[in-house]
Amino acid sequence: MSSEFISSQDAVPTPSVSKIPVEERLFSLVLALLATETGLTKNEVLATVQGYRQRYRAGGDNANLERQFERDKDDIRDLGVPLETVDSPGQSGNNQNLRYRIPRGSYELPDDITFSPGESTLLNLAALVWREGSLSGESRRAIIKLKGLGLVSDEPVLGYAPRIRLRDAAFEPLRAALERNAIVRFAYLKPGEAEARVRELAPLALVQHQGRWHLHAAEPGTEITKTFLLRRIVSQVTTTGATFPAPSGDQTAHALAELDEVWESHTADVEVVPDSDAGTRLLKRRGSLRLPSGVLRLHYSDVNIFADELAGYGPEALVLSPPALRAAVHSRLLRTVDEHAADPSTAGAPGAEGTNHG
Amino acid sequence: MAERTPPLQAQDKLAFLLSLVPFLMEHERISVQDAARHFAVKPEQVREAVKLIAVSGIPGETGQYQHGDLFDLAWDDFEDHDQIVLTNLVAIDDAPRFSGREAAALIAGLQYLSALPENSDRTAIASLMAKLSRGASALPSQFAVGASETDETLALIRTSVASGVQLQFDYINSRGEHERRRVDPLRIESMDADWYLRGWCHLREAVRTFRIDRIGNPTVTTEPITTHAADVHLPDTLFEGSANDLVVTIDVAPSAAPLLADYFTDGTESTLVGGRNRTELRVSHYHGLKRLVGGLPGMVTVVEPADARRAVRDWAAAGAARYEPANDIAEDAAAGDAEDAGQENDTR
Repeated sequence: MSSEFISSQDAVPTPSVSKIPVEERLFSLVLALLATETGLTKNEVLATVQGYRQRYRAGGDNANLERQFERDKDDIRDLGVPLETVDSPGQSGNNQNLRYRIPRGSYELPDDITFSPGESTLLNLAALVWREGSLSGESRRAIIKLKGLGLVSDEPVLGYAPRIRLRDAAFEPLRAALERNAIVRFAYLKPGEAEARVRELAPLALVQHQGRWHLHAAEPGTEITKTFLLRRIVSQVTTTGATFPAPSGDQTAHALAELDEVWESHTADVEVVPDSDAGTRLLKRRGSLRLPSGVLRLHYSDVNIFADELAGYGPEALVLSPPALRAAVHSRLLRTVDEHAADPSTAGAPGAEGTNHG
Repeated sequence: MAERTPPLQAQDKLAFLLSLVPFLMEHERISVQDAARHFAVKPEQVREAVKLIAVSGIPGETGQYQHGDLFDLAWDDFEDHDQIVLTNLVAIDDAPRFSGREAAALIAGLQYLSALPENSDRTAIASLMAKLSRGASALPSQFAVGASETDETLALIRTSVASGVQLQFDYINSRGEHERRRVDPLRIESMDADWYLRGWCHLREAVRTFRIDRIGNPTVTTEPITTHAADVHLPDTLFEGSANDLVVTIDVAPSAAPLLADYFTDGTESTLVGGRNRTELRVSHYHGLKRLVGGLPGMVTVVEPADARRAVRDWAAAGAARYEPANDIAEDAAAGDAEDAGQENDTR
């Protein structure tokens, strides 16, 4: 999305007779469409609005300018400006007679929406969370709008630097597809399976749960929903061209509730070395419990992911149950040993047990 | 903050224009400096925007942008005194709504921040989210962040940051060593589900980063902090390289590479070896490395140096041994392998 609007204005090789900046043209378009009750036809826009009219040729070919207008509409809508089209009376279906306008009621922030200085401070901090990807631009623009309300926030929240990562390459294309209710296709590698399988899905929500991004999606044409870890998407995400009806209800809440439910229902008993890194950190996971025996009862969502995490603790953590997790951690540790076997070229080092220093 | 404002894109500029107009309407007269400070932009950006607003308007009845169809400005005040006074207004009456995405970004940010102790009032957060939702021109798009529970340690640290007093706690570094640390807490940072404290460590006499989930028995002292955030350099990145770092060559599965991005040296080249990226990683010591690599089984292999391979192998082998019969004793765990007392960055 963002790359389109950055380049769109310069992409047109129109012999530019004037140097009217992009923002002036967009601003003038918003003003003109806000001011009209009945709407303006495309021709009226091109012929009269600042930034277009300079390049408009009466009775001539305005194809480039028309394309410019199409892109500008998208850019303006991207910003949350509700640009709408209305059929001219008795002329429905005739594209040339569509009229464009921005209804004031849906453009303006309702009067009763105000933010206290404390809320404004919090919103500024919430915007800081996004420092990468297109969401950093979205939150930056949200803050510009917030400041337009004339708010003065409390003193900035000193001492916080929160951030959420958007490192999964699948995030942006999925988010874009979600907004357009577009069916997506990608290859997904399920742990334990040797090969990735291509899936076609209706994306419903993107949620971060326990630090990882998940896609909540439906099998097209069915009510069956599934949750996918973005990290396991191993291909590019593409759209198939098909769309699906917009789902009703709060899909994110639904997805998070499901993930929470899974988290609650999966428990593992893990013996930890007292006062070790594992002992300290595992106990601080959400919902962890120390049993009278000293064993920790831990919650998790996914055997494979949790097995990875536990394998990192080496000898500090020993899974007692469930057996599947126990086996998964054991095999991971063996694999790591195997992959780090002493290099045969560095003289007759013994096997996996290795030699200790000194 | 102002020195870090990035150049505005066309959409940002439009958002700025549409927000600046109602702001100027509220303030009958305001200096360029004050407006710039309010929006956290350079004064020149405000001047440019005001000049543009002053010549903008609507085509009007005639389609000719007649005088009354344009905004107007008290030019003398503007040019001679850097003061902004709009004298004619058109089209815009009020501030614009948020877009669905903008509202969603803030809502998800708030969900994430609900872990902070000062946000323990969930009703207040919920009402703020509802306002954002209602103030958006479209349904906030469908992404969200699961709320985490408020952590007691975090609350305690927050208290000591806010009141400027020292904090004491037990800390286990990645070597598994315990120490009681006395710290001037400077900044609470986070990355997804992980929270960190940046502070001046009185034991090390340097700025250190502490994982909050490694902190035990924290107590807030009455001792004021001696080193303030303004006295030291707190880098933007959580993981800072140091001259003492050890460089390790690894093979990493392309899908796992983003997970290690913080440890890559700048300008690291990577070459494809057997479907994996061979690249270099910097770590402060092998104790952190063995945990990092051990936690990415099958995805990362240490190629060299041999010491590093051995550290990883021994760590995993000691772990695996616990799963084998008659070996179920944790006697050789973790302890006794503190061979290199290099500098630490106890984050992993």
